[in-house]
Amino acid sequence: MVTDSALLERIRAGKLVERPEHANERYIEGLKRTLIVSADTELISAPAYLRAAQDAPNINAYISALGIIQDELGHAHIAYRLLRDLGVDTDALVYERRPEEFKHPYAFDVPLESWTELVVANAFYDRAGFVLLGDVFRHTSYGPWKRALVKVDREENFHLRHGERWMSILAQDPERKEELQRAVDWMFVLTLEWFGLPDHLKRHTEQISYGLKGKTNDQLRQEWMSTTVPFCESLGLRVPAHYDDRTGQYVIDVPFPAEFDAERKRWLFERGPITWEQVLERWRKRGPANGELVGAIQRGYAQLRRAIAS
Amino acid sequence: MIADGSEGDGMAEERGLTVEAIISALSEVYDPEYPISIVDLGLIRGVEIDGGVVRVKLTFTSLGCPCTELICDDIRARLSRIGGVKRVEIEEVFDRWDASAISRKGREVLRNLGVI
Repeated sequence: MVTDSALLERIRAGKLVERPEHANERYIEGLKRTLIVSADTELISAPAYLRAAQDAPNINAYISALGIIQDELGHAHIAYRLLRDLGVDTDALVYERRPEEFKHPYAFDVPLESWTELVVANAFYDRAGFVLLGDVFRHTSYGPWKRALVKVDREENFHLRHGERWMSILAQDPERKEELQRAVDWMFVLTLEWFGLPDHLKRHTEQISYGLKGKTNDQLRQEWMSTTVPFCESLGLRVPAHYDDRTGQYVIDVPFPAEFDAERKRWLFERGPITWEQVLERWRKRGPANGELVGAIQRGYAQLRRAIAS
Repeated sequence: MIADGSEGDGMAEERGLTVEAIISALSEVYDPEYPISIVDLGLIRGVEIDGGVVRVKLTFTSLGCPCTELICDDIRARLSRIGGVKRVEIEEVFDRWDASAISRKGREVLRNLGVI
């Protein structure tokens, strides 16, 4: 372990942290928190996508969806492995936490129930993951993670293309396009939320000076919109955001953050904006699919433990 | 006929379609995940030209390849940009594929990414 100033000097000089001995406890704890969010997100996306993949329109589409799910499990494995190397008991983390203790974004706890919703998730959620992990890849000071992300980044590219290709196909059929619009209506704002508290409510100084991330939440949210908004517009889909020429920024056109009816997958914009404190409270309670998704991951482990005990 | 501005295609157009020109265009079609062309990956198992019809024999790295449709889309998009190509027919041959089919250049790319 080194002093804080020696660690910051190392990071400023562009030298990577390769082992805990190169860092200090605050850095390692921050790194673990970031890795757990990333690992849980990849892991929980697998059962969330698998559920909707059952609705695939043909065998090739189904195989594509399974390929994506397999990739996501591989990405989760990488992040948990990095945690294990830092001394974390990953079996306990994956199999013994309560569903509500998982750190994946709230969006995954709202069930994906059709092929249409799945491909929008591939285009929106995987784009969010791509933006967030791309930022980590470019800026992280933790060497083992940086190297592992080279492969992850390439595979996420395929997921995005899959999602965007299928959105383009569905958009050509008027009936499917309406269904696509309904999915976009609830999933777009849910992905905006994914990037977390706005910059005026959250200081990132420690995460940024430690090189755990490079851009702020608002910058990353903008980056996501900068590709997602023009893409949706090119398909003739309405999204509640537009580009402002004057400021060079994307502007959200609905109350944000807002109340969400997760059962009906509907935003209650008519009630006006809510506070981020209220959003955090919804996140802490988790969404309708939380227990089912974590249960799908933990089921085999629980069965095995019971069999051994009996 | 649409000129796409690329020098290689212009030359192909003058000489008429050749297998070499088709292979050269296919070398610009990349695997949807890794920055390696489908030619370097060893997926192309034959090219035939019959007037304006180009037939490509294509295999995949596995029976369960999740990218078959993307790869076929990309092949059609690239080859139809070549002057004189009226139709692209892709035959999925499912020939045996293993890592020995990857070119030396391709192997280097995949090694750098930690894939092989």
